[in-house]
Amino acid sequence: MADPLHQFQIQKVVELPTIDVAGVPVDLSITNSVLAMLIGVGCVVLFFALTTARASIIPGRFQVMAEGLFGLIDDLSESIIGHDGRAFFPFVFTLFLFILSCNLVGMTTYFTATSQLAVTAMLAILTIGTVIVVGFVRNGLGFFKLFMPSGVPLLILPILIPIEIISFLMRPITLTLRLFGNMVGGHIVMKVFAGFIVALASAGVLGYLGGFVSLTAVVALTALEFLVAYLQAFVFAVLACVYLNDVVNLHHH
Amino acid sequence: MSVTASPAASETSAEAPVTTVATLEPIAEAPASAEAAHGDAHTTSTGHGEDHASGGLPQFQTEHWAGQMVWLVVIFTVLFILIAKVFAPRLRNVIDTRGATIAEDLANARAIRDEAEAQAKDAAAETAAAHAAARKLAADAKSKATAEMAAAQAKEDARLNGILAEAEASIRAKRDEALAHVTEIATDTASALVEKLTGKAPTKTALTAALKKS
Repeated sequence: MADPLHQFQIQKVVELPTIDVAGVPVDLSITNSVLAMLIGVGCVVLFFALTTARASIIPGRFQVMAEGLFGLIDDLSESIIGHDGRAFFPFVFTLFLFILSCNLVGMTTYFTATSQLAVTAMLAILTIGTVIVVGFVRNGLGFFKLFMPSGVPLLILPILIPIEIISFLMRPITLTLRLFGNMVGGHIVMKVFAGFIVALASAGVLGYLGGFVSLTAVVALTALEFLVAYLQAFVFAVLACVYLNDVVNLHHH
Repeated sequence: MSVTASPAASETSAEAPVTTVATLEPIAEAPASAEAAHGDAHTTSTGHGEDHASGGLPQFQTEHWAGQMVWLVVIFTVLFILIAKVFAPRLRNVIDTRGATIAEDLANARAIRDEAEAQAKDAAAETAAAHAAARKLAADAKSKATAEMAAAQAKEDARLNGILAEAEASIRAKRDEALAHVTEIATDTASALVEKLTGKAPTKTALTAALKKS
């Protein structure tokens, strides 16, 4: 049976030199992970370039799709962050489209960049980094009020503040692991069931039945994984909005 | 996390992705430096990396991390700039324009409807006025005709009454005349009768008295 983990192996597609940055070797080669990101983002750019180039008041089919995605995230950021949400819309929309396109490239054609821990971690760092920068820019040192909810009895604060700090520090980790775990888990399960088909079909007549069951499972799992691909992108966007809202509307807390 | 741990972050060149990677130094450094040579060797030599299964998930091969992160930041930034500067404004513009167009069209339609309603009201008022005028005209004509007829009838009545009165007067005259003759005839007849019976004509006074008695 094929190794279900082999699909996550990084391989170099175009060899580029490794540069040394402050003692860290950065291999700039285009790997299959990078290529998958390029394909996904390339499709997104192509899609939006084509649909918005001749955007008309009476939209065509593809323009309706583009406006649907736009409206989804626009409503999301506006409903969670409020009227300031429009300023953060491009970032949230970029996050959503990046993750969605990488997930769908993984589902349909090539390699799942979002199943790479480095990719999901970097996305989480970008998100939390934006939250921290926005928090300090908008609130200055008032940013630290994030860890001290107002209206709480003084007695509880010594317990509450460490909890708040820990929960804030856990955010990038949970963002990283949620997306990573979902994509890895789904793809491994699909690969395992697909492996069963071949293994059972070679085992004889009774194996055909088992193979058929596995095939059905793979088809069902594929449908589920498409849902997960969309849902995880959406969840990441929602959480980015929620975290941004915490620091944008800090004085409302 | 490790974000604040790197002193190199501030010293590195102005290139944004490089800074980001440098901040991640503690994650990448320890395993990467140890395994970099080995990992590179095995990926290039086997090409497929068949022996990685023994080492768990390939995602934990940290020698691939830095490159992916740099590329991700580059690709993400490009997409972000395109969305922020091109796609989002275009889409927002077209959506806003659509909203404005629909609102304008609705306002126009509403104005036209109001105008049409006003015109319909005017037309109804005009019709009502015309109806009233026609009714008045008809009533006038009717009353005039009635008056004329009444006048003509009165005239005719007067003429006929004149004729009637004339006729009655002539009848009355003739009757009076006839009645006047009756006494004379009666006197004559009585005189003749008396003369025949008695052979002698009665006196005029006796006749008159006798006639008056009867």
